[in-house]
Amino acid sequence: MKLTTFLLLLLAIGTLGSCSTDSQNKDDITFWSSNASQEIAFSKYFADKWNEEQNAKVHCQPIPEGQSSEEVIMAAVVGRTTPDIYANMWQGLVEVYAKSGVLIPLDTISGFTDFIRARCGDKIIKEITSSDGHIYQIPWKINPFMTIYNQKEINKLGLEGAPKTYTSYLNAGRAFSKDTDGDGYIDRWIGDTEVKNIWHQRLNNFYPLYLGASHGAPLVKDNKAAFNNEYAVGVFAFLQELYKNGYFAKESNTVGSDKFLAGSTATKWTGAWDVSYLERYKDEDFEYNISHMPVPDDHQGEVYTYADPKNMVIFNTCKNPGLAWQFIKTLIDDSGDLKFMELSGQIPRRQNLKENELFINLLNRYPKLIPFVDQSEYVYGTDNCEVLIEVLDIISQEYEFCVIHNKKTAEQAITDAAKAVDVLLGNF
Amino acid sequence: MKKAIIYIVLIVMAISFLYPFFWMIMASLTPEKQIGSLTFFPDSITFDNYTSMFSKIPIGRALLNSMFVSSVITFGVIMLGSMVGYALAKTKFNGRNFIFYLIIFTMTLPFQITLIPNYITIVKLGWVDQYTALIIPFLINNFAILLFRQSFMSIPQALIDAARIDGCSEIRIIFQVLFPSIIPTIVTVGILTFMTTWNEVLWPLIVVRDEQVMTLPQLVTLFSVGGRADAQLGVKLASAVILALPIMIAYSFFQKYFIQSMASSGIK
Amino acid sequence: MSRKTNLIPYLLISPYVLFFLVFVAFPVLFSFFLTFHKWNIISPMEYSGIDNYERMFNDRLFWKSLRNTIWFLIIHIPLQIIFALGLAVFLNGKIKFKGLFRSVFFLPVIVSGVVVTIMWQQLYGFNSGVLNRLLVSIGLVRVGWLTNPDMAMPSIAIMATWKNVGLYIILFLVGLQAVPAHYYEAAEIDGASSWQKLRYITIPAINPTIFMVIILSTIGGFSLFIEPYVMTGGGPLNSSLSSVLYIYKQAFEFYHMGYAATLGFAFAFIILIIIIIQKKYIEKEY
Repeated sequence: MKLTTFLLLLLAIGTLGSCSTDSQNKDDITFWSSNASQEIAFSKYFADKWNEEQNAKVHCQPIPEGQSSEEVIMAAVVGRTTPDIYANMWQGLVEVYAKSGVLIPLDTISGFTDFIRARCGDKIIKEITSSDGHIYQIPWKINPFMTIYNQKEINKLGLEGAPKTYTSYLNAGRAFSKDTDGDGYIDRWIGDTEVKNIWHQRLNNFYPLYLGASHGAPLVKDNKAAFNNEYAVGVFAFLQELYKNGYFAKESNTVGSDKFLAGSTATKWTGAWDVSYLERYKDEDFEYNISHMPVPDDHQGEVYTYADPKNMVIFNTCKNPGLAWQFIKTLIDDSGDLKFMELSGQIPRRQNLKENELFINLLNRYPKLIPFVDQSEYVYGTDNCEVLIEVLDIISQEYEFCVIHNKKTAEQAITDAAKAVDVLLGNF
Repeated sequence: MKKAIIYIVLIVMAISFLYPFFWMIMASLTPEKQIGSLTFFPDSITFDNYTSMFSKIPIGRALLNSMFVSSVITFGVIMLGSMVGYALAKTKFNGRNFIFYLIIFTMTLPFQITLIPNYITIVKLGWVDQYTALIIPFLINNFAILLFRQSFMSIPQALIDAARIDGCSEIRIIFQVLFPSIIPTIVTVGILTFMTTWNEVLWPLIVVRDEQVMTLPQLVTLFSVGGRADAQLGVKLASAVILALPIMIAYSFFQKYFIQSMASSGIK
Repeated sequence: MSRKTNLIPYLLISPYVLFFLVFVAFPVLFSFFLTFHKWNIISPMEYSGIDNYERMFNDRLFWKSLRNTIWFLIIHIPLQIIFALGLAVFLNGKIKFKGLFRSVFFLPVIVSGVVVTIMWQQLYGFNSGVLNRLLVSIGLVRVGWLTNPDMAMPSIAIMATWKNVGLYIILFLVGLQAVPAHYYEAAEIDGASSWQKLRYITIPAINPTIFMVIILSTIGGFSLFIEPYVMTGGGPLNSSLSSVLYIYKQAFEFYHMGYAATLGFAFAFIILIIIIIQKKYIEKEY
């Protein structure tokens, strides 16, 4: 019986392959980094260094692959399979987990508060302190959202740099978006946003534009929707115009290859991590630069943007939080932050970065990061709202209807979203 | 003339069934920038997508996990299914009909009802990220029980009575005396179970979030919607090829069995 | 009979009973209990009366996902029957390489739906997908397979047909081969046309198979998950949001376990009703 032998063979291979799970010391620390290859390399570098000197080992691994890291962490919390340390926690979720009691209050660890105060300063300390007075997160890094643009293509339009206001951006869109091969379809766009209706995608486009236009207005205030204003409407109308005229590509980024690298989009809205990504995958003669995201034509003063703060937390499944903190300290002291910035191109959340000799030297070697460092003084994080994910989901729904498919006006979409958010908050 | 049309239709259909696979395999061997314009053959062939994919996700481990999980489930379904099927076919006990109708009822119950509570059960049992979560809920398969019951019913009672007189235990009767005469059923149940478990995605996505325990289709799915591919299409396609290959190779050897088993799953 | 032999059947069925209690009976009861509660597993459960049901009846997305599934079935089932029956009739004649054709058509059936979905997502690409390039090269226009809200579900239905048709070809072939050859000979003598033969001999003979295709496709349509999850995320404009994807989103993106259980109950109920209706009307047809 050929088939039974085949099946038995499979069984044998399967059993052999799956028996080995590495044994773990009880004091060992599991550390989840983000999924980005640079951050995997960063955490491995420091874990190896730590493991050479210490008895309790650090096992680092990227967060398991998933549609969003937030979804994976939530599942781990529910299944009680959280790591000891997670290094890429979205600030918008810390309060939720703190309230449900799965995080270690870090200010109870000796030496923590002094270290953090020295690193971050009082303003950030205030921002990260939970409503119960404890601190559950270690401010780690930010990635201010900005416009990265293809220098050569922008020059061809007769512009020096990326367009900085809505009108000039639309004009650039009109000039750049074209059917280059004459098949009757536009194949070159000024930019794009992910069209899939996924809530966290709106943190990359709608939210930073909204913060920029409104000088940092909240989405939710006093348990009510606070975004039913001219700024949100303006952002929706601006983006809707881009899609309606075909200046933005309407296809999900999961289809086909990277449009920006291929030169078929001229700008993209993204954070500092993109610099190391571009450096890795770009052609040699590809040139890019960075400027702030577009703002309304009559905008006055500084341009704020979304900081995308990602922080470290210690889960209560950790047996030895003190030791975990000792390890975290090696990641965020001068040499840790320096190495991090060099490997990942992201901005450590520490004060006086531009006055520190070490970082000045680094920035001189990586000048593309300077705009992000400059921008990082004008950033906002997220509102302190327990159902922020659902708020963003509601906005994302309206975004799809209004911005991408032009099914309603910007005013209508924002009003509908605000109504839905109020219903949601009333329920909670 | 009529024949010619039939052949043309069949050939066009056959091409449309093969081309997507061909395209995927070729695209996985094409440098990232050229995938967008690929129709048949790339200008140059590269294995970078594969080397890069292997360094990004533990796909070898996932392959072994899938083999392990599918094999254990297949083995369990054959053993337990034949035991229950035998009891229903060849023994008498109170509530036999009740159990039989219970099985029929369970088969018609849409899984949408049990999905959420079963996940909660797994959480409460502490089986999240464990092989047990992937295996135990699938060890009993109602359809397999019915197939075994049917084929045991066609076996003459005399054979069983003779074995009992010889002092065989019921377990020995099932596995030693009767198994050789129901091999086609065993093969059918084996292939069906192996294939459905191998291809199952929704349940692993829900109960396993640890890459070391993930099954192959699950890992490939997450790789294609998640962030680790760095938005590179070639590596995603390479992982899909790895997922397709084992079952395609098995199919090319045992086509007849695959087709027969799948067909019998339709004819209930 | 001694007491010992009486126990053995119970031992043999005990694994089933245990399975039934843990993975069928308990979940159904617990799920029903959950529909009256609000719970995200980590916080304490709250009693919420019929809030979940009320919410469901007012939930645009619940109705949308139901409409999407029905729309999928309306396209998918006829396509499935036409292609499977047509190809089966062709393969039933005297054809060379019959086995080869059959194996080729069957190939997508055995391959994981994930592979099929990843492949077709790229073929369906608007800007550089092979299908659109083919359409343009023969002088037609591009189709927004996955980007046009009116096309996303039909596109998924076409793909699902491509994936499953091989299985139904085989089933139809089994049905066709059961028709005695002299039926056709007699019909030919009476001067029946090909259409009449199909209508009065072939279709009645394979009616049970058609019924089965409809039932299996209906269950399949309500189980759609991985296709929209990977290809479209349920969009554009929720036009490919399937029932299981919606349950998944409520349960595992927002952890609304009570509401997800309510949706599960509702969809299961709808499936059973639809199947009962189909059983009543289609089986009676001939």
